[in-house]
Amino acid sequence: MTQALWSLFWIAVFPGFLFTFSLGLVASWVVRKVSALVQWRVGPPVLQPFYDVAKLLGKEILVPEDAQRSVFMAAPLIGMAGVLLLSTILWRTAIAEEAFVGDVIVVIYLMVLPSLAFILGSSASASPHAAIGASREMKLVMGYELPLVLALVVVIVKTGGQLNLAAIAQQTPVYSISGMLAFLVSLLCIQAKLGFVPFDIAESETEIASGVLMEYSGALLAVWKVMHAMMLVALPLFLVTVFLGGFGTTGWSLVWSIGKYVLILVLLILIKNTNPRMRIDQAMRFFWVYCGIVMVLAVVLTTIGSYYDINWL
Amino acid sequence: MNQQELNEKIVEVEDKLIAIEQRPGNRIFLLCEAESSYTINRFLFEDVQARFVIATGIDSDDCFEVLYHYSYDQTGCVITINTYIRDRDNPSIESIAPFLPAAEWIEREIHDLLGIDFPNHPDMRRLILSDDWPDDVYPLRKDAEKPTKRPDGDPVSRPIEQTQSPARRTIQLSKPIIAVGPLHPLQEEMEFFQLAVDGEIVTDIDMRISYNHRGIEKITESLQFDQVPFLVSRICGICSASHPLAYVRAVEEIAGITPPERALYVRTIINELERIHSHVLWFGLAGHFIGYDTVFMWAWKYREPVLDLLEEITGNRNNYGNVKVGGCREDIPNELKPRILKDMDEIERKMDMLIKAVLDDPILHARLKGVGILTKLDAIRYAVTGPTARASGLPIDVRRDDPYAAYADLNWNVITQPEGDVFAKAVVRLLETLESIKMIRQAVKRLPDGPIAVEVREIPPGEGCGRAEAPRGETFHYVRSDGSNRPVRHKIRAPSYVNVPSFKASCIGERIPDVTITLAAVDPCYSCTERLAVADENSKITHDYEALLQLSRDKTDRIREEIGSQHLKPEDS
Amino acid sequence: MSWRIRALKKSPWVFHVNTGACNNCDIEIVDLLTPRFDVERFGIKLVGSPRHADALLVTGAVTAQAAPRLREIYRQTPKPCVVFAIGACACDKGIFHSGYHIVGPVDKIIREIDPNAIIAYVPGCPPKPEAMISGVVKALSAL
Repeated sequence: MTQALWSLFWIAVFPGFLFTFSLGLVASWVVRKVSALVQWRVGPPVLQPFYDVAKLLGKEILVPEDAQRSVFMAAPLIGMAGVLLLSTILWRTAIAEEAFVGDVIVVIYLMVLPSLAFILGSSASASPHAAIGASREMKLVMGYELPLVLALVVVIVKTGGQLNLAAIAQQTPVYSISGMLAFLVSLLCIQAKLGFVPFDIAESETEIASGVLMEYSGALLAVWKVMHAMMLVALPLFLVTVFLGGFGTTGWSLVWSIGKYVLILVLLILIKNTNPRMRIDQAMRFFWVYCGIVMVLAVVLTTIGSYYDINWL
Repeated sequence: MNQQELNEKIVEVEDKLIAIEQRPGNRIFLLCEAESSYTINRFLFEDVQARFVIATGIDSDDCFEVLYHYSYDQTGCVITINTYIRDRDNPSIESIAPFLPAAEWIEREIHDLLGIDFPNHPDMRRLILSDDWPDDVYPLRKDAEKPTKRPDGDPVSRPIEQTQSPARRTIQLSKPIIAVGPLHPLQEEMEFFQLAVDGEIVTDIDMRISYNHRGIEKITESLQFDQVPFLVSRICGICSASHPLAYVRAVEEIAGITPPERALYVRTIINELERIHSHVLWFGLAGHFIGYDTVFMWAWKYREPVLDLLEEITGNRNNYGNVKVGGCREDIPNELKPRILKDMDEIERKMDMLIKAVLDDPILHARLKGVGILTKLDAIRYAVTGPTARASGLPIDVRRDDPYAAYADLNWNVITQPEGDVFAKAVVRLLETLESIKMIRQAVKRLPDGPIAVEVREIPPGEGCGRAEAPRGETFHYVRSDGSNRPVRHKIRAPSYVNVPSFKASCIGERIPDVTITLAAVDPCYSCTERLAVADENSKITHDYEALLQLSRDKTDRIREEIGSQHLKPEDS
Repeated sequence: MSWRIRALKKSPWVFHVNTGACNNCDIEIVDLLTPRFDVERFGIKLVGSPRHADALLVTGAVTAQAAPRLREIYRQTPKPCVVFAIGACACDKGIFHSGYHIVGPVDKIIREIDPNAIIAYVPGCPPKPEAMISGVVKALSAL
């Protein structure tokens, strides 16, 4: 009974929903503020994303006539649920150092859920623009999933074949060549997952009309925004856990880990602000060919390295 | 040919004309019956090689008149063919569109507004009245109510389906397209384009305009001569100094007025400031289209000092209201002169930086060169003007050909480029900005003392053709007066009216990702490229506006990768 | 004051509609995004779809061809929302009031479908960007 109550607490409050939600909105503010500064502007105040969500919750929800209602309304919730679970699992690994065998695989599946939700939601929107967005998102996902999985394979090989996050988090693959390569490729995959430039092909931010989310309004749109904000917490945390030696929760380790998280956020923002948008077929080629080859190379390197016990490979 | 030779050449067709009238200010009027119109038009276009400007339809008491205006740029002469259509019940005059694509739109417009038929016109669909406008109400006719009220009440309560009249059908393209753009948050001018595509290549293009039709030519008939400049400066936000200037020139031509010298210089300064403003604005937008948003923010930031200066002089950032018949309304105080010179230095520095960055950037070269080419021949057939024409090697510029204001006194160059592609258009505009800065400096230093207006009492009967070089090209106003204090007819031709249809020539054969930038390169009076989409033959939309925008930007990025050069980063401020 | 309205005031997302304007107002609206005015500071964001909008910035005197579009867009905007008539043309047809192709002004068209619509007027030809910001702020604080 208490276990069940604890689980509920973890999912709903800390480190689950409330925590991830708040941290995520602050992270999304950081992204907007830095982008504004780069453009010689001042940018929004800190609480802006919170106001945005509150406002959206108060607006009416309009569902297009021809839309597939149930899927249309369920899609954002599916996405958010996925990210929520992902975040909870990752934080629990960091805080309690608990893990279970195979949780890496669960994490991979959970990371796909937000993209699937986008595809479902926009396909259910019965709008030509959303349909285009959906098809692009599909192609993008097909593009980056492979390198991402290969990057994880690199890490798993380094742990000697262990499939649980706690073990993975013990090491810091990034101090080796293959690990660094895997980290960089994963960073770009995360960039695509978050829908940031240069990969914001399916849905663009700021001035351009948002293809995928075009028909969403009100509370449903709020859920999408919250999901996106939560991804800003979960995905960098994933990178920290898997590549940068885990997220420590005590003393200096905590400070150091916060630094790692901030570093990833900064890298994401930097890439976002210094590049124009890619075309979908270009993006696919980029991921499959360039990232794919690099990752295969990394896997080979790390296999050799672990066989011959050369750590820096 | 010089003017003497031109006069002699025209005599060749004397037998088909009622009369040849040489009017002061380098204007020739050829009067003829409707039956000879085709021949005389062809003669002017092909033999004399004059440039078609626009056609004006007039409802006179006992007949209809269609005036075809041509410009002979080598001497700055405006030749007008004044045809008379005697049959008021079934007015009709043979279409000249078969040999002159530039005339297609205006004949459709005259048909809409006056009910004149143009047999042999290749594509007589409704152009500028709304879909639900009743078929036989012609607003520009004199017997229509003045001002014309909507004949059957407002259609506002009718649902959308009922407002699609068969008069406006999408063109029968081989692979039809639906143009339904997302409403773009940056600019929302509601015009839209329909593209027919075959795979990735555009095979045909059509455009609907009528969202912006406000019936200005009818409104001016109910205003007095001195009220009209306020109306026409609101035709377009960016050419808002050029339209009133062209109108005022036309009226001054009728009345034989010459404004005082100081007024001419003030007009020059204001118009050149407007040109700088417009070109920098365009450049920001073009940057946005190909994916350089930093350039967009940067260009619009440096536009602000120009607007501040204009506000200081005229009282408003846009819409200056500074010309009137006989001179100017607002003077430039002499104390402001040092500030203008200082601002010009500053802007010139920024422009130099920008121009170097653009002219040297290999990505921009690869992205914009060879794209959206408008050949010189097409430029002539579509009678384009302004930077669009000059970038295709046509050295036409109203400021030099038919000088007005103080342009004849200043030392400046007409900028042309031969290639006709988007890059050439960008170069022309940027270099013109530098020329404008030069002109403003000269004008400010030489600003003569004296009054800024002469008093005007009466406008006698007569006709005047006034034009000005707006940032987008030649603005042409034709005014007919009958001695009262209102115009009998006022025809307005904005430069985009001839530049935009040239898309047919420059977009066909282009790939879809290049379409947005080609359309933007003509600098249509504000981005009409909004409503733009591409669909396949089943009318399923495959690309919407942001998709096209994105393709455009993606191509930039692809090229950047191939070249491996740095992302354009203007130095700062 | 309900929490909805309070949140709306802090995060007004705007959608720009041109119903046949000369573009002066439109340029000034776009200018709001640029570094000198930077309306993102107030939480104002230009969005690409009316479904995401809280306020419609409407320019132009509403031509006959544009009227059905304007009505559609208003219907697609989730309530509560505010309609801003920007510029003299949108407020009361401006200098084009006698044009035969003009069916506006904006409030007439909007009230046909929603008599209780909230409409705010920002006159000017064009209104300066500062005036627009001030108008938006005033309207929101009067809600």
